[in-house]
Amino acid sequence: MSTHATPGGPAVFDPATLPADDNVNPYTFCVELKGTQWFLQKGKMIAYYGSIDFNGVGHGRLERLVRTSFHSPLHASDWVVADGSGKMLLADRAFDVNSFDLEDGNLTVRAGNLLAFQPSLSLKQSIVPGFLTLLGTGRFVAASNGPVVFMEPPIRVDPQALVGWADCPSPCHHYDHGYLTGVLGGLRAMTGLGGASGEEHQFEFVGAGTVLLQSTETLMSEQNTGAVPHEPGVPGGGMSGGHGAQAAAPRLPGQLGDLQRRFGL
Amino acid sequence: MFRLQGGRVLAVDMTGDAVRAKNGAMVAYDGQMAFRKLSGGGEGIRGMVTRRITGEQMTVMEVKGHGTCWFADRAAEITLVGLQGDKLYVESSNLLATDGGLRTGTSFTGLRGASQGNGLFTTTVEGHGQAAITSDGPAVVLRVSPQYPLSVDPGAYVAHQGNLRQSFQSGVTFRTFTGEGGGEAFQIRFEGDGLVYVQPSERNTIAGDV
Repeated sequence: MSTHATPGGPAVFDPATLPADDNVNPYTFCVELKGTQWFLQKGKMIAYYGSIDFNGVGHGRLERLVRTSFHSPLHASDWVVADGSGKMLLADRAFDVNSFDLEDGNLTVRAGNLLAFQPSLSLKQSIVPGFLTLLGTGRFVAASNGPVVFMEPPIRVDPQALVGWADCPSPCHHYDHGYLTGVLGGLRAMTGLGGASGEEHQFEFVGAGTVLLQSTETLMSEQNTGAVPHEPGVPGGGMSGGHGAQAAAPRLPGQLGDLQRRFGL
Repeated sequence: MFRLQGGRVLAVDMTGDAVRAKNGAMVAYDGQMAFRKLSGGGEGIRGMVTRRITGEQMTVMEVKGHGTCWFADRAAEITLVGLQGDKLYVESSNLLATDGGLRTGTSFTGLRGASQGNGLFTTTVEGHGQAAITSDGPAVVLRVSPQYPLSVDPGAYVAHQGNLRQSFQSGVTFRTFTGEGGGEAFQIRFEGDGLVYVQPSERNTIAGDV
């Protein structure tokens, strides 16, 4: 049939045999465009057939589309709109990619893990810093290091393994308090002497919904997404209401607080 | 006879014939094998000089014997390519092994190579036989035919074979410099008739940032 394929060799794809809006293999996803548009993160396209234009989200012609489906000005420089007709392959650092369908739902995902989404969804920034929320109906593509595992709350998860959550179970921090209270506990947490397991801090999810985990603790590197507005009450906004006197010294993750405060000084 | 054992190990069954492989890529063998480093990729003095000048360096060994020899390289995924008199263009870092009867050489790639960050030259393999190429993640093989030209991100390109013309597409406009670029400013466009191998991962290239 073909001039170059070897019998028993790898499958050869052309525009007719590539799947439409589905995975080619666990690491590559194929999007079919028929005069339609997709949002995708910059640099995740690896190849395409047909005529497809890539335009920055700030492109004037796209203003209407952006107004309805893209509400995250901080991420605008990381996203582009693919526009045209043809088939386009997406991949990211040889990580697993998967597509998910949302039906009038909501899903929050780590900003670096989201690869692409249909404009029928709308993208907003989550209140949780570093996460993005998708609302509406449509399909999106996300990457994960290792296959995605779906879990039902109530569940406590390792921060590095968390990919996202759907249908809004309440996300909060959880510290294994008993092990790390008191002076000795504080020392243990800060120095690791006496055996800190490295798992004292988890994210806890309760309520109805689904939690998405990846099967490794390798974080996807994410680009700096800028800062949220400096307003009181905005998490990560920089102004922390009443505690104006608090030192802004960088704190280690998992550290419970300043020692002097814990001694009551 | 090349065969894949899993996606990341190449097994070669040999009956007295020779195979060329990336130096140090042997992970195991069974039977009688002799390993010999080939200076200059086994392309003679001229090839050696060309490779030195073009920077497309490749240290190759010749494996000869009876039995089975297994090759692997940094757990990279391996794809087998069959050649029937046509020419395979591949980056020297992505070439794992070739049949002893295949000829290798270097060729000029022009702007495509520059945009990939892999230098201006690439390795060619031609003749009749099999070659094994590596990629970061399993390679997707895409057919290019006259009615279906293909555009590929330079960072994801691994190899191509057949009768293909390549041209360099640039989408750099004033918007790229104002930070509103399309994110896919450079593409290689393949036209003609042949196959292109792409990997689900992008090397760091200047094209990735604009």
